Amino acid sequence: MTRLWAGVWVVLLVWSCSSPERTGPEVSFTVPANFPKPLYAFERNPLTTSGVELGKALFNETLLSKDNTISCAECHSQPYGFTHHGHDVSHGIHNLKGTRNSLPLQNLAWESEFFWDGGVPDLDLVPIAPIISEVEMGETMTNVIDKLRATKKYPLLFKKAFGTEEITTARFLQSLSQFMLTLVSANARYDHFVRKEGITLTNDEQTGLQLFRQKCSSCHTGELFTDRSYRNNGLFLTSDADEGRFRITNQEKDRYTFRVPSLRNVAVTGPYMHDGRFYTLEAVLDHYAENVHDTPNLDPILKASTGQRGIALTQQERQQIIAFLKTLTDEEFLTNKQLAVP
Amino acid sequence: MKINPFFLLLFAFCTTVFTSCKNEEPEPAGDGDTNNLTLEFDNRVGAQKLVLGTTPYKNDFGEEFSVTTLNYFISNVSLKKTDGTVVKFPDQYFLIRQVDSNTWEPELKNVPAGDYSEVSFMVGVDSLRSASPIAGRTGVLDTYAYGEDNMWWGWNSGYIFFKFEGTSPVVPANGAGLRPFQYHVGGYGGYTNRAPNNIRTVTLPLNGTATVRKSISPTIHFVVNLQKFFNSTTALKLQETKSVHDPSAAAPLANNYVNMFTVDHIHND
Repeated sequence: MTRLWAGVWVVLLVWSCSSPERTGPEVSFTVPANFPKPLYAFERNPLTTSGVELGKALFNETLLSKDNTISCAECHSQPYGFTHHGHDVSHGIHNLKGTRNSLPLQNLAWESEFFWDGGVPDLDLVPIAPIISEVEMGETMTNVIDKLRATKKYPLLFKKAFGTEEITTARFLQSLSQFMLTLVSANARYDHFVRKEGITLTNDEQTGLQLFRQKCSSCHTGELFTDRSYRNNGLFLTSDADEGRFRITNQEKDRYTFRVPSLRNVAVTGPYMHDGRFYTLEAVLDHYAENVHDTPNLDPILKASTGQRGIALTQQERQQIIAFLKTLTDEEFLTNKQLAVP
Repeated sequence: MKINPFFLLLFAFCTTVFTSCKNEEPEPAGDGDTNNLTLEFDNRVGAQKLVLGTTPYKNDFGEEFSVTTLNYFISNVSLKKTDGTVVKFPDQYFLIRQVDSNTWEPELKNVPAGDYSEVSFMVGVDSLRSASPIAGRTGVLDTYAYGEDNMWWGWNSGYIFFKFEGTSPVVPANGAGLRPFQYHVGGYGGYTNRAPNNIRTVTLPLNGTATVRKSISPTIHFVVNLQKFFNSTTALKLQETKSVHDPSAAAPLANNYVNMFTVDHIHND
């Protein structure tokens, strides 16, 4: 299969000469044939084999947390699409709980805003948030860098990646980005099907795909299955409801809105919604079909002129859509040893 | 009244000496000459020097407080010459931390020789730098520089421009029996979307001239009066507002703290 679609990949070459600091062979970042142009500024941080290798070591490094117990991989676990399996909200050091469900880490080169509220506009700044959050890793950036400097291993890995043993915030964050950028999921059955690589979908899956395109794709758009917007999808609001993107922009129109997430690998990334309130895809579809609440800023798409809310879906249609959603599970990505905990 | 001619002579002599001293022209400003200019930030509460710890102060509303932390960023300094031309220093960022006296008198480097009559600076970090690539964030803009005294927001990424913390008996006790207040101001306007912008620029006449020459590196001595934080544009009572951590709630604080800064005097030596 790899052989078949290697031919249709567009190769975006990232030249190492744009960054004299970098050492080792550059890695070519490949854009899957059915994907749009990436948004990450690769020219600022060209991928190299040793940079990605360093980033992977850091991603799995517990020194990043205050009590040296938790790594990024703790809440972003590969078999579950780099989410925190089975946790509605993520747990940090001392078993402290956050307030939101950890998002999958995948296809990050095609994102320009991160987290459920889009509060961080640059992938290179993303790791600071969990590191300094008191309920996640609870550490200071100063301690993280100092702890890495005190090891035998890291000065050598930094030298391999950047030419000298110096460990800086920028190098630390750029290497983490390099690894995270390699988390590309584009080999699900759906992908092979749309790229006409000899895979067929079952009747239910195909019907599900048609229904999805009619009823879901205005938000879960394109091959990344998100239009990257922030919307209120009518979840029931508790009295202390998370205000979502309003916290970032302070604009009334953004109150209770959250990022439209990608649906790639959605079958393994539950629970769902920003607070992980739905444990199954059936519960998600039931919400859209039967339980959309008319709360402030409810997305107009979910509100027909007749006053009817939500998306009209029969039980059979819900099952067909779920059958289609399962074709977005990318086993190759979820089991790729290059991305696995060492 | 009889005037001793000797005193008259002495008077005349002194007047001449002092007048000539005062009128003495500094060396001419040479083309291409530069020197440093020191910006001295003298943090006070009213008529007292700010001392961190348990020293009790009172704001204009009679509320007692003591201060554990006062930090703020100063950036984008510009100086106006007596002829009206403006010299800008966009790449020099300073973090004033009361806990570290080494930060109180930062040096503005490479100031062209000239006579300056007005100073202007941002309290905070400009939007361009707040959203710039990580590789360019060095010195006080590097999160490594902060230790436990963090000046960066992770969840809504951006610098904390101004951080003022302490305790006050008018603040209700928390679970640990402490009575803390915490004011963190940030918010650079957002990267792609409109978001709260609490960047403020302070412009002050020097009430005199800072004369930068090859051999003269002046000091502008600012007095920074925390009383104005509580009471200037708006009245901010500890009893009513003990904690601000959110850009959207911080505008009144920023509107007050710009009034803390005054130019006390200039040293031209």
